[in-house]
Amino acid sequence: MNERRFASIDIGSTYTKGALFALEADGFHLRARAETSTTVENLADGFGRVRGELAADGAPVYLSSSARGGLKIAALGLTADLTLSIARMAAYSAGGKVVRTYSYELASDEIADLEALRPDIILFTGGTDGGNSAVVLRNAERLAKSKTDAFILYAGNRKIRDRVLALLDGKPATAAENVMPEVGTINIEPAREVIRKIFLERIVDGKGLSRVVREIGRDPYPTPLAVYELVGKIGTTQPGWSDFGVIDMGGATTDFYSHTEAFTGGDTILLRGLHEPLLKRTVEGDLGLRVSSAALWDSERAYLTSRLRAAGRPLEEFDAYIRFVAAQPDYRPESAGEKAFDEMMAAACVRAAALRHAGTLSKVYTPQGGFYVQRGKDLRRLTRLVGTGGYLARTESAALLLEACAPGNAEADSQPLLPILPEAYADQGYLFPLLANLAGDFPDAAARTAVAGLRILKG
Amino acid sequence: MNPQNIVLGVIGADCHSVGNKILDAYFTKAGFNVTNLGVMVSQDEFIDAAVETDAAAILVSSLYGHGEIDCEGLRAKCIERGLDRILLYVGGNLVVGKTPYAEVEKKFLDMGFNRVFRPQCDLAEVVKILKTDIAKAVRG
Repeated sequence: MNERRFASIDIGSTYTKGALFALEADGFHLRARAETSTTVENLADGFGRVRGELAADGAPVYLSSSARGGLKIAALGLTADLTLSIARMAAYSAGGKVVRTYSYELASDEIADLEALRPDIILFTGGTDGGNSAVVLRNAERLAKSKTDAFILYAGNRKIRDRVLALLDGKPATAAENVMPEVGTINIEPAREVIRKIFLERIVDGKGLSRVVREIGRDPYPTPLAVYELVGKIGTTQPGWSDFGVIDMGGATTDFYSHTEAFTGGDTILLRGLHEPLLKRTVEGDLGLRVSSAALWDSERAYLTSRLRAAGRPLEEFDAYIRFVAAQPDYRPESAGEKAFDEMMAAACVRAAALRHAGTLSKVYTPQGGFYVQRGKDLRRLTRLVGTGGYLARTESAALLLEACAPGNAEADSQPLLPILPEAYADQGYLFPLLANLAGDFPDAAARTAVAGLRILKG
Repeated sequence: MNPQNIVLGVIGADCHSVGNKILDAYFTKAGFNVTNLGVMVSQDEFIDAAVETDAAAILVSSLYGHGEIDCEGLRAKCIERGLDRILLYVGGNLVVGKTPYAEVEKKFLDMGFNRVFRPQCDLAEVVKILKTDIAKAVRG
């Protein structure tokens, strides 16, 4: 047999999943699949089991990992709407999870909070190039004096980069280009690239992953970063897929990816705030079906309560279910009642993740006539919406994904810029993370296979 | 503060963009690093930009007659947000009707603006005043 075979393995926080693909002219073909629970104590065990089951002898192995709950990033900016907002964008697009944000000068309680949080990376921004230095330098001093051992990535005012790094001498620290060199200019790629490298150096170390890396002779990728890049590749290479979104819903978080121009303008629409990027990822740490179910119940109580009332289900019963599943991340619902609860939670996650990802359009009355002001990203041109992650990969319901779409209230003076009526798809084989691993070396084949494997949802 | 950095924009729900572009070009040519926020700028957007750029001055334009309402409270907000030494300039058609200019000027000076300019003024003169004011502010 002389077909070219590739194994792709993803070590998630709950499951280690793998697939063996054969590369042919029209893309990848699935030859084998395997899955086991992630062996948290030594990741190499689960990896070895999956690799063995795939019978991938001799095939190159591509690896991604989101074990240890992914890459924890604390973002520090100067103002909330400018540098902090861009720092958050950079962290998400690097596949990170933003565990905390800080703006202006760090207060002592915030330093204590940061020390207790123990993020993997502190993304330290603030000031345009040649802009604010006083607050940024004071924050550098405070970080230097703190007990934090997180890796500090400075991506603020370039003119004081040397002084900042000198102050941080003794801490693991490096610098990247400013995420906002001028007001409103977004420059997240350099910081993103550095975060990826830090991920490899710092996170791979331990839990047996370094052994795996030596064995396969290839660096692993953070899973969400791999998916982010796959979404970008689908958007640029697959016909009809220039405007689409992906919702990756799991037990702990819901990630929303969009590939579409953020602002298309028009004579009477004005963009205020940041011009967001073509490819955007947001991560919601309080939207999830298991580990984050209690947080979801807090955040989306109004929506969930109205759904429960409409279905005639007592809130206490739901409350008990939430507490039960939060402690059992791999629980699958059994009764129809439990399935209905999961469906409501999933709907709440989809809806809230879309609303937070999308911008808004507000009508403004001016002496020169009516104007519209757009803030954030316009998702109305998304023609396709893909659901992935365990739950959404299995769903039969387009209605569930279409929770991400605008409620039909065109009269309101301010409306969210949600998708209008996209086609809904399920990533039925849950192949996105596994193909994402291969997308670095085989972008076209991976993107084509990811799209071909989707199941269109009706009704 | 950085003596070269200034923030420029048209405040409120005002869409007049021509004068704004002229000011941007003129101040840039005069040696300033201009952060031009364009039209329909809110007070918070002016302040965010001034904080990030460490600007020496915010130059507010208003052409549509509602300048008074739009500018009210800007000085206080600057102080609250840590911009306690920033210069605030305002100019344009600041109020509707035929209010004598001296009254308009007093109103805006009372609001905390450092300088108030008429609809017609010599930009070379404005640049000269701005540089002098900034030099004074830098010396503290």
